[in-house]
Amino acid sequence: MERREIIDGIVEILKTVRTVDQEKLANITDETDFLTDLKTPSTELINIAAKAEQKFGVEFEDDDLDDLGSKVEDIVDLIIRTKEKG
Amino acid sequence: MEIYGRKVAVVGMGGAFPTCKNLIEFNQKLFSNQSLIRTWDQAESFGERTRSKVSGYITEEEMDLEMINSILGEIPETYIDKLNRIPAINLSTSDIGSIWAMLGALESIKMAGWENSEVQSEHTGVVVASCGSGNAILRPIWNNFFELGKKSRLGGVHGVDRTMTYREAANIGCLLKTKGVCESITSACATGLGNIGHAYRLIKYGLQERMIAGGVEATSIESFILFDSMRVVLSRGFSPQESSRPFDLNRNGFVCSFGAGIVALEEYESAKARGAKILGVIDEYFNNSDGDGDMFYPSFTGQQRLWKGLLGNNNRKPDVVKVHGTSTPAGDAIELLSVVDALGKKDFHISAPKSQFGHMLGAAGSVEFITALMMLDNQKVLPCLNSTNLNPELENFQKTDSWQGPKEPLAAFRDLLPQQTFDKEINSIACLNYGFGGTNSAILLSKDHS
Repeated sequence: MERREIIDGIVEILKTVRTVDQEKLANITDETDFLTDLKTPSTELINIAAKAEQKFGVEFEDDDLDDLGSKVEDIVDLIIRTKEKG
Repeated sequence: MEIYGRKVAVVGMGGAFPTCKNLIEFNQKLFSNQSLIRTWDQAESFGERTRSKVSGYITEEEMDLEMINSILGEIPETYIDKLNRIPAINLSTSDIGSIWAMLGALESIKMAGWENSEVQSEHTGVVVASCGSGNAILRPIWNNFFELGKKSRLGGVHGVDRTMTYREAANIGCLLKTKGVCESITSACATGLGNIGHAYRLIKYGLQERMIAGGVEATSIESFILFDSMRVVLSRGFSPQESSRPFDLNRNGFVCSFGAGIVALEEYESAKARGAKILGVIDEYFNNSDGDGDMFYPSFTGQQRLWKGLLGNNNRKPDVVKVHGTSTPAGDAIELLSVVDALGKKDFHISAPKSQFGHMLGAAGSVEFITALMMLDNQKVLPCLNSTNLNPELENFQKTDSWQGPKEPLAAFRDLLPQQTFDKEINSIACLNYGFGGTNSAILLSKDHS
């Protein structure tokens, strides 16, 4: 799965999160920060991660989620890493 | 300590009421002697597993709300407010009851005419609570973890804020950005009135200038089932409209209902100075406990002490007593006799709003307080629907040697209990509510005559 494809999938997830600023979803990049750029409430990050697990068919380790950063690249990397682990 | 001469006005009200879109419809239906109780399809869906089938319930659709549960099964991910009254960030931390509470708070503030600077002040507080424990949210979360074996995070991240005991006050406080007291006082079915009483004291004692106060009970089949399991607590065997029948000889339990009642309170002189419409003035609040060690059975002496505390030495006799009047066999008889013991047999009337919409549990006291405000405004007494036959015989407890109360049967007090709304000059109303654990609350409310 290409990196851009995962980012597009993340955007699709964010479209379902009503507390995210929807107007800012058009220009999502690796560098976009959920907290500072999208104004996502920090508590929602775990819901986004849960949705990502479902969408991409993976199950994250609790340690990985505890260490997860708040940028898009962080969750994209985690998805790729988890998929590679199989 | 009370500040002598400092008074507390009610300047706004709002909430959620079964089968009613708004306060206007609630007012219209109540004062035309209608019942808001329906057969509940959810209760019926369990067949013989539930004893009672009627309720004064409110659906999400009726409140223009929709639950979104895209990944969490039965657990709400969030709610959508179809009328855009509540921002998404506040909906995400709320259960249904908290949303009703926020809507009631917004309605109350609009009616009160408070500016943002007044709301977002350290002199403005919130005291709102419910009786239940967020059961509708807890059940699917626990089922997800314990029965389905899913990870805790698949219960969603809002289990705590949606079920913590003071969730309604917290959500109102976050929505309004008030800076004063924010807390919940819970006392079972006296919760609604108890929170208004506590808020009254905070203003009366000079600790706050304005308060949002009240009680909530969100529609929850889980809460309904808890009461249904007690067998003799909920009403059964009558049509929905006849199920709640306080004081009637054939009453056999209360109707488990849901709703929200929120009011805006303000220091009286402040409200008058800005030209606010005064819906009523709270003259006194008193609460106590039975002290007899009984969790459920009401206490005549506890209620005697309640009346003494409420009326003090002022010889104030209310024109109307808005009773707790649940339609349970034990509670109603003790309550009617304690009212008669305190006020005599004439020159006042008894109103039992639960006869029209059932028992709203944590919301009962505050929604019924709103009905008292409406009685003051309309100058009409709300009825005791279905109080068709009063017991012509003495209650069993009246036949015991230890009984110190009135020695006449309930039927002797027929004239106090109107079965239809009627016109009356009403200057003051006593509001009574009690709860499991032997807790008793009373407010004396009067019309503003200035």
